[in-house]
Amino acid sequence: MITKEMKISEILNKYPDTIKIFIKISPHFKRLENKILRKALASRVNVEQAASIAGVDLNHLLYELNKAINSEFEIQTDRRKESEMNQNISESLPEWLKNLTDEKIVELDVRPILESGKDPFLDIMNKVKALKDDEILLIINSFEPVPLYSVLGRKGFEHYTRKEGTIYKIYFFKQKISQFESAIKEQSQQEPNLVEFEKVIEIDVRDLPPPEPMIKILETLSQIDEKTVLLVHHHREPIMLYPKLEERGYEAISHKINENYYKVLIMKKRKTNE
Amino acid sequence: MNNQISVAGIYSPPFRIVIKYFITAIISFIVFNLMLLVDYKSISGHHFQPKILSINHILTLGFITMIIFGAMFQLVPVVLEVKLFSNILAEIQFWIYSIGVILLAYKFYFFSSSLSFEFPAILLSIAMTIFTINIVLSMIRVKKWNITGTYLASALFWLLITALAGYLLSKNLDTPFIKINHLQYLKLHAITAFVGWVSMVVMGVSFKLIPMFTLSHGYKLNLAKWTFYLVNIGLLGINWIMHYPETGIYNLIFGFLVFIGLVLYLIQIFIIFKKRVRKKLDIGLKFSAFAFIVMGISALLNFSFLFYDYEAIKNLTLIYGFLVLIGYISFLIIGQMYKIVPFLVWYHKYSSKVGIEKTPMLKDMFDEKLAEIQFYMMIIGLIILIPSLFLDLQSFALIAFLLFSISSIVFGFNMLKILRS
Repeated sequence: MITKEMKISEILNKYPDTIKIFIKISPHFKRLENKILRKALASRVNVEQAASIAGVDLNHLLYELNKAINSEFEIQTDRRKESEMNQNISESLPEWLKNLTDEKIVELDVRPILESGKDPFLDIMNKVKALKDDEILLIINSFEPVPLYSVLGRKGFEHYTRKEGTIYKIYFFKQKISQFESAIKEQSQQEPNLVEFEKVIEIDVRDLPPPEPMIKILETLSQIDEKTVLLVHHHREPIMLYPKLEERGYEAISHKINENYYKVLIMKKRKTNE
Repeated sequence: MNNQISVAGIYSPPFRIVIKYFITAIISFIVFNLMLLVDYKSISGHHFQPKILSINHILTLGFITMIIFGAMFQLVPVVLEVKLFSNILAEIQFWIYSIGVILLAYKFYFFSSSLSFEFPAILLSIAMTIFTINIVLSMIRVKKWNITGTYLASALFWLLITALAGYLLSKNLDTPFIKINHLQYLKLHAITAFVGWVSMVVMGVSFKLIPMFTLSHGYKLNLAKWTFYLVNIGLLGINWIMHYPETGIYNLIFGFLVFIGLVLYLIQIFIIFKKRVRKKLDIGLKFSAFAFIVMGISALLNFSFLFYDYEAIKNLTLIYGFLVLIGYISFLIIGQMYKIVPFLVWYHKYSSKVGIEKTPMLKDMFDEKLAEIQFYMMIIGLIILIPSLFLDLQSFALIAFLLFSISSIVFGFNMLKILRS
């Protein structure tokens, strides 16, 4: 039984064939075929995080994975899926949805876009960009687009989801500045979304005495932009490096492989004030 | 989130305070060596003499323990990934402690002065308690514990025991009340200080620093665990048995446990050295390697004390003291200082400029040739000193102390150079 808390690497180790399911569900997961990226990334990401990173429905992903490893789980998972989905739907109507007039609603039905095999993400973002301050965005979909909540949440949007038969109606409304600043704070504390990176620069500093690893890493930073991640093979956790990265607007995640081997991923900090 | 991942946090150790402890310690080291030179005629006979006790405490409290305090303020945040609980406490501790050291050295030196022994002992105990509280309160917030932390925690326990024993001894000097022999209690104080406090810190920290500087990996730390249990059980036993007039067979057993623990430690260090990637030893590591050899010799010598009346052999206790304090502890501290201080200063002043402007190399921050000369002068000094103490040849001891004094000034010069670069 695969649960949303399980690590991707754990699943891939136990059931290597599930890689096909991952790729079938989202091309984002193609990166998992790359052994280096798999080791560096997948060991720390669980199914829930992966679903949100790739922008796919968590329940759908869980369902497909469990179906692949054991068809008997199908029915059981189906029920669980149902109950979990209902949990996601807010109970009470928020203030901003009361006294709603139709002309304030910008509607986008993404089902036709999905059916044509395209990703509706850009269409949604364009609508969001054009949205006026007092307008509300309504997205209509055949499943609940959970990742979108955090993407738009980061931009200061609150959401309200309503299920009508087989379709989901999701309302997005932009909050006032003060409210969404706290939301941003929460977001930036979460782990960065690694799958967005397109290029990996690798350096190995294990044979260098201190402070040469630090020098080499800091010198390499000039090559690191928003789409590049620096993967450092280190013989210990570079505690003293962290403040120096912070100073320059970078952040790091260290992953302990064993006592003398750490993989350190360094990336540019996300801009939080968009 | 699983515990093998850590997201970057900032645990920047307090540079200013660390350096303040280090500078004071280096000054104490030079004062210690100059006092040996001035009072060379007193360095003979029984160790329980005012001047020897005074000079000894300038080294053990003013240099060794002072350095350890500074180093722990630096290393605890780095090794255990936690912020130091309070920089203000470290600052307060510094002043109470420094005054305590000066007054104690003064009182020992002028034994008959009107100052009590108890007062400096109280100051020192307060300072050590503040230190322990500061570190313990930092430690309880540690998320990823490791073997160095375990060693350091036990070292703190033994620091307090040493302070307590020292305080009781000081009261006993003012008005005798200890029922057992004062010298036996002094032995407890010294063993707890050398093995429990200093060596526990040294060993714990070395498991991090030595592999970092030698770039060793692919070894196991199994022996380190055994050392921890053997030494601590042995020390607990010694602390217990020393409260009885007759220590007998128990002293032998517990002494043996400590000895085996230290031997296993040295084997562990040897394994780490063997697995090193960089084969050439730089000056810092030369000092350290020599220190480990002398540590083995002094452990063996101390062990042999269990089997014969070592106090009957002239100056043997003094020889042992010099081996431990100079050959082992001071060599190790100096070696590690040649590695740590340049790094700290470089990190503080230059690390933000890497990749933006040119920054100095660590080995260019001090005169390595001079450091080499210091290394050999200290070794020659030690080699001259031991037979001259054994044969009671004071003029030869004077030569040794002269070499020590010059080398301590060279050390001070090099450290100053690093701080100003």
